[in-house]
Amino acid sequence: MTPYGQKSNRVKWIGAPVKYVLFTVMMLTWAFPVIWVILTSFKARTDIFTLPPRIFFNPTVEHYIEAFVRSSDIARGTLNSILVATATTVLTLLVAVPAGYAFSRVTFRFRNQLSFFALMTQMAPPIGLIIPYFFILSRTGMLDSYTGLIAIHMTLTVPFCIWLMITYFQDLPVSLEESAAIDGASPFAAFFRVVLPSTWGGVGVTAIFAFIESWNEFLYAVVLTGSRTKTVPVAIFSFLTTEESLWGPFTATGVTIMAPVIVVALFAQRQMIKGMTLGATKG
Amino acid sequence: MAGVILKAVFKTFGKTTAIKNFSLEIDDGEFVVLVGPSGCGKSTMLRLIAGLETASSGEIYIGDQLVNEVHPRDRDISMVFQNYALYPRMTVYENMSFSLRMRKIPKAEIERIVRQTADLLRIGQLLDRKPGQLSGGQRQRVALGRSIVRNPQVFLFDEPLSNLDAKLRIAMRAELLLLHQRLKTTIIYVTHDQLEAMTMGNRIVVMKDGLIQQVDAPDAVYDQPLNRFVAGFIGSPTMNFIDCRVVSEKGDLYATTPGIRLKIPESHARHAEKYIDQEAILGIRPEHLTVSTNNRHLDAADRFKAVVRVIENAGSEKLVHIRNENDTLVARLERHIRLKTEETVDFTARMDSAHLFDKQTEHTIF
Repeated sequence: MTPYGQKSNRVKWIGAPVKYVLFTVMMLTWAFPVIWVILTSFKARTDIFTLPPRIFFNPTVEHYIEAFVRSSDIARGTLNSILVATATTVLTLLVAVPAGYAFSRVTFRFRNQLSFFALMTQMAPPIGLIIPYFFILSRTGMLDSYTGLIAIHMTLTVPFCIWLMITYFQDLPVSLEESAAIDGASPFAAFFRVVLPSTWGGVGVTAIFAFIESWNEFLYAVVLTGSRTKTVPVAIFSFLTTEESLWGPFTATGVTIMAPVIVVALFAQRQMIKGMTLGATKG
Repeated sequence: MAGVILKAVFKTFGKTTAIKNFSLEIDDGEFVVLVGPSGCGKSTMLRLIAGLETASSGEIYIGDQLVNEVHPRDRDISMVFQNYALYPRMTVYENMSFSLRMRKIPKAEIERIVRQTADLLRIGQLLDRKPGQLSGGQRQRVALGRSIVRNPQVFLFDEPLSNLDAKLRIAMRAELLLLHQRLKTTIIYVTHDQLEAMTMGNRIVVMKDGLIQQVDAPDAVYDQPLNRFVAGFIGSPTMNFIDCRVVSEKGDLYATTPGIRLKIPESHARHAEKYIDQEAILGIRPEHLTVSTNNRHLDAADRFKAVVRVIENAGSEKLVHIRNENDTLVARLERHIRLKTEETVDFTARMDSAHLFDKQTEHTIF
């Protein structure tokens, strides 16, 4: 009941609506293009460009049928994307999990320099590397091959995933492994039976990051793939030609690309935020 | 079961030496406590015995076997860590049986041992839970259980009680002692808590800066500290230290400050003789200071006046901070003694229990 208390109450009372208005504005700014794409993908051809845009309309799935049934490109691209992203994720984990463990637990010469080098490779702009990558793949006959694209995607995912795994392993007390060693476990048994099960959450988040990175990747895919292996972000451009822009099927495909990312982000929100702060907060 | 022998063990990390010339023989079935302030090397010594670190030089024997190059799993020891190090994704049963499974013991046998140990520790009803669902005290028991199931030669405890609240810690202290009486396995126990060391060990090893300061039974460490560090580290509240001067008058020796003049008992006097007219440090434990009651007592050679500054009432006793000239002392008095702050009071020091330390070397003179 002090004057100070009254004042702060008043500030809170005014503050709350202001806060929510700001939140709403921010949310809409981010969500508007997403909402537009989703709505458009269900609109009939004739509804797409009516002005003012119609919010209530008769939804239709014709664009989805058009994209996935009538054009073979998108279905194939989606399968390619699933294949490439899955393979990239699995192979990335096979490299990043043991590497992250080694960087966080084993002391060896140039450890810090090496782990920093892994991070530094992330700072190079991909566009600068595209020509050498193109030459490497063309000389090794791996242009328009799954192997080639997966290898290149791994150059994007592995360094970041190593760093993610380093932070997860660092959060784990060393005494767990020491205890396992005293209990009779070999280093491998300690890793597989104690360490790895204790970091499943971290491995899961790392897998999600790797999958999304590969799934969303466009620049390398557009240059390094051809008709056989092109991924869905590349294939989607078949709807935009110099003659016509097929907005309906384009947005339908766009929704398909975004859907898994949004679903995963919603479900794994908390764990992923922890991953993105790179161990700045404990648990 | 087995004893542990440490011979001239050194451990260096880069340029710092964590353990300096550590030699100790621990008997089979003994409960030895390594105690010292943080950074004194006590945990490092325990890790050397466990095999989690390798000694830079020296020899470590468990039983008759030289174990310097032996992997932790082959040393037949078990260890309880400060953070318990329970495997988070395993149930209590899986945690406790892990070492037995690693050693390929038959399933039925494992089941029998784990159940028996769980009953001993009264955690039988928790076997299906995960560590995250347990309270601190329960985790502590599981960690103990995990180390007991294998019936090792030696138990190593690294500050196992320091994550528990005060009440639970006292309860677990007694329980560990009971457990030791029952299992009779050698225990090497590390703590920074001198009270824990005093109450639990058959012998206490006081360490500082990687060096053993004193090894002895708790009472001996308390009553006959070898140097000023041990005297100050063991005992709470800590011993009072007063810079004084040794003076000889009419054949008697006195420890004097500008405001205090205390007679050194004859039994101790011969040790102090070579310090006549030199500086020294007088050490008196708080419980050896009392309020003088007999005013007619003529021999005032064990008395001094002091002003009461602060009175801490601990219920069962009073800790009274007093001041004489520039010296501040703490006296532990019985609860019924009534004093007022700023009051000048006559105190008696039990000089036959007091100590004198060399000012340079800080070694005990008596």
